Amino acid sequence: MKAAPFSYVRPTSPEGVLAELSLAEGEAKIIAGGQSLMPVLAMRLGRPPTLVDISRVPAWQSIDVGTHEVRIGAAVRQRAVERHRDLRVPLLSRALPWIGHREIRSRGTVCGSLAHADPASELPAVMVTLGARLGITGPGGDRELPADEFFRGAMTTALEPGEVLRHVTVPRARRGQGFGFAEMARRHGDFALVGITTMVQTEGDRVVRALLGAFGVADRPRLLDVTETVAEPLRAAEEDGASAAVAEALADAARDLVTTGGDKHASAGYRRRLVRVLGGRELVAAFRDSRKGESR
Amino acid sequence: MTLLLDQAASVVDRWRRRREDADTAVTRCEADELLRVDLTVNGRPATVHVAPRVTLADALRDHLGLTGTHLGCEHGVCGLCTVMVDGDAARSCLILACQVDGSEVVTVEGMGTPTDLHPLQESFGAHHALQCGFCTPGQIMSAYDLLSSEPGIEAAELPDRLSGVLCRCTGYRNIVDAVADVADRYPQGVPGPRNCGHAEPRLPRATLGGAGTPATLEAAEAASGPAEIAVPSGEPTAVVTVDTHAEAPIDAIWEIIEDTEALATCLPGAEIIADFGDDQYKGRMRVSLGPVRLAFLGDVKILERDDATHRVKVIGQAADASSGDVAAVVDLTAESRRDGGTDLRAVAELHMVGRIAQFGRGLVNDVSTDMFHQFAANIDAASRGEAPVEAAPASALSIVFTLIRSRIKALVRRITGRN
Ligand SMILES: Cc1cc2nc3c(=O)[nH]c(=O)nc-3n(C[C@H](O)[C@H](O)[C@H](O)COP(=O)(O)OP(=O)(O)OC[C@H]3O[C@@H](n4cnc5c(N)ncnc54)[C@H](O)[C@@H]3O)c2cc1C
Ligand code: FES
Ligand code: FES
Repeated sequence: MKAAPFSYVRPTSPEGVLAELSLAEGEAKIIAGGQSLMPVLAMRLGRPPTLVDISRVPAWQSIDVGTHEVRIGAAVRQRAVERHRDLRVPLLSRALPWIGHREIRSRGTVCGSLAHADPASELPAVMVTLGARLGITGPGGDRELPADEFFRGAMTTALEPGEVLRHVTVPRARRGQGFGFAEMARRHGDFALVGITTMVQTEGDRVVRALLGAFGVADRPRLLDVTETVAEPLRAAEEDGASAAVAEALADAARDLVTTGGDKHASAGYRRRLVRVLGGRELVAAFRDSRKGESR
Repeated sequence: MTLLLDQAASVVDRWRRRREDADTAVTRCEADELLRVDLTVNGRPATVHVAPRVTLADALRDHLGLTGTHLGCEHGVCGLCTVMVDGDAARSCLILACQVDGSEVVTVEGMGTPTDLHPLQESFGAHHALQCGFCTPGQIMSAYDLLSSEPGIEAAELPDRLSGVLCRCTGYRNIVDAVADVADRYPQGVPGPRNCGHAEPRLPRATLGGAGTPATLEAAEAASGPAEIAVPSGEPTAVVTVDTHAEAPIDAIWEIIEDTEALATCLPGAEIIADFGDDQYKGRMRVSLGPVRLAFLGDVKILERDDATHRVKVIGQAADASSGDVAAVVDLTAESRRDGGTDLRAVAELHMVGRIAQFGRGLVNDVSTDMFHQFAANIDAASRGEAPVEAAPASALSIVFTLIRSRIKALVRRITGRN
């Protein structure tokens, strides 16, 4: 299995990348970690005449940790984020180990996964749940989009030809926030049949916000505000520790979230059930997490 | 030693230069061109010339002869091609060779030698963690990555954490046992690779391109000037001692031995393609035997030549595009015999990597002896002013054996040929 021939160019500045992309008039493909692109090339599902390697652009190689936000550059690999000890973005840290295998994350980038926008992938859902902002640069200048406007469909994003996702800015966890993450796949490392992301914000024992995200259930990551639905069951769950009532309350939400039809791995009905069960569990987990007192 | 230090300094220098202009440089290569890629493989500098679409896996296997890295699916699913890249395990079929310029790669060959196995290699043997062995290099590299980055990992976590590499023989239990054993024995972290990390290159720099472009590369090679040659450190893969004799008197024999170009003609297929002076040469060795075609391209340097004792010491380093690298230090002595002829003795220390290294010592020894006799006969003939007799390919042997043998021949010829 060998890729069809292509030419290769590796600029070392953002301007250089944009210049090369415009030179190729929409024909060039960006390669970052190559972990999604290389299989496509090997199977000759794609035959781009030119690859523009963005992995050696120093301006895009850093993780910048601010007081309230973390900014991850386009060339930053997933494993580097995983190893970072000072991120305080627990949902991201929980999700990363679920991406393929260590060997994939050694090379795959965070931004590459977002740009690739596989509906079953973890990071787009994480970004939508956290309300991350995606920084885009292109011939028309720089712009920024909230994650929920960036993902437009299966492997389809708001990126125009010639544009590059240069970084993603992720809010750090605040006091009173808790998070949950769960995934069901055939084997570890496989794409998710269903994945769940949750965020619960509490003030005292009052649930002020509860979000339920899901991936692998539609053509893009989905997010619902379920504060109204689960506030009461969550409080009850705290007493008896069971998530069944929360799951029960999510029946409508699950119907709403799962729009994909069934496939040979899982029927739509099974996926809905997973959303309810895992969603209930992870909302309870997030609720507990939010009440641990100190923010992480 | 100073030679080695100088060499190390020049390598560092090359790196520094590369790092400095990293900010402005644009690297570009057309689809039908070759890009020069310098990297470190198993602790020593290596250079390949590759088309953009060539993967790291193919560069390691086909260009550097490091066939320990296996290819299963070639699209990222099986993990057999796992190697360490800049300290992290990665699938070499999902990385372009041109992306690893300046990187450090460790392959399974770098983990240990047959006489000095890495604990993981040892443990895989002890636990019968391989059946056909096809997945083993990937398993070892993945496990090494895991145990070095997460020492003290719980045995219960291993199945999940080793799931990046598939075993089609499905011997997962023994694989997990083998890794758990090593994790247990080294709670502070598994020891590093055993066959790299030497301050000085243990084997020569391999400088060659794909099979398709020998002519241009050869020209480029010859034009590139003398390569850095250093006596390899570490255990040789094999030491071969061969004794034979020639009928001509020692003075006539010595005249041939002294003249490197004349000596080269005593080896069928050998040719000096550049003389850099100072006793350093670029040479080519073509071997064609049955279906086998090998083309070695390499550097030769005479380290010592002593007229009084009739002794030459030569170092050669060469690579064949597909079968591997060879370095050899050959000590050749000629001594007068009572009957007026000349005794010839060669002691060759062979350092091999790549497919070539798979041939056992015994075989290397056997075939070397044949080869050296042939070589000596040619020197003898040359000393009488006759053209060398071409070596006849082995006939009575099976085709399989011929294949193996011819490779060894190529190797041995190369080595003795530089005498
Ligand atoms: C065996 C295997 C299992 C995997 N399992 C999972 C999994 O479980 N979950 C998961 O999420 N992913 C999985 N992946 C994919 C992996 O996460 C990829 O690394 C990631 O999706 C793409 O990142 P990359 O840097 O490798 O991008 P590349 O492969 O280099 O690029 C992917 C696509 O995005 C474009 N692109 C990349 N970066 C940018 C940018 N900055 N701006 C604009 N366009 C860009 C490229 O042109 C290309 O079209 C798996 C991959 C393999 C091989
Ligand atoms: S050969 Fe690279 S993952 Fe299968
Ligand atoms: S031992 Fe045969 S594939 Fe693993």
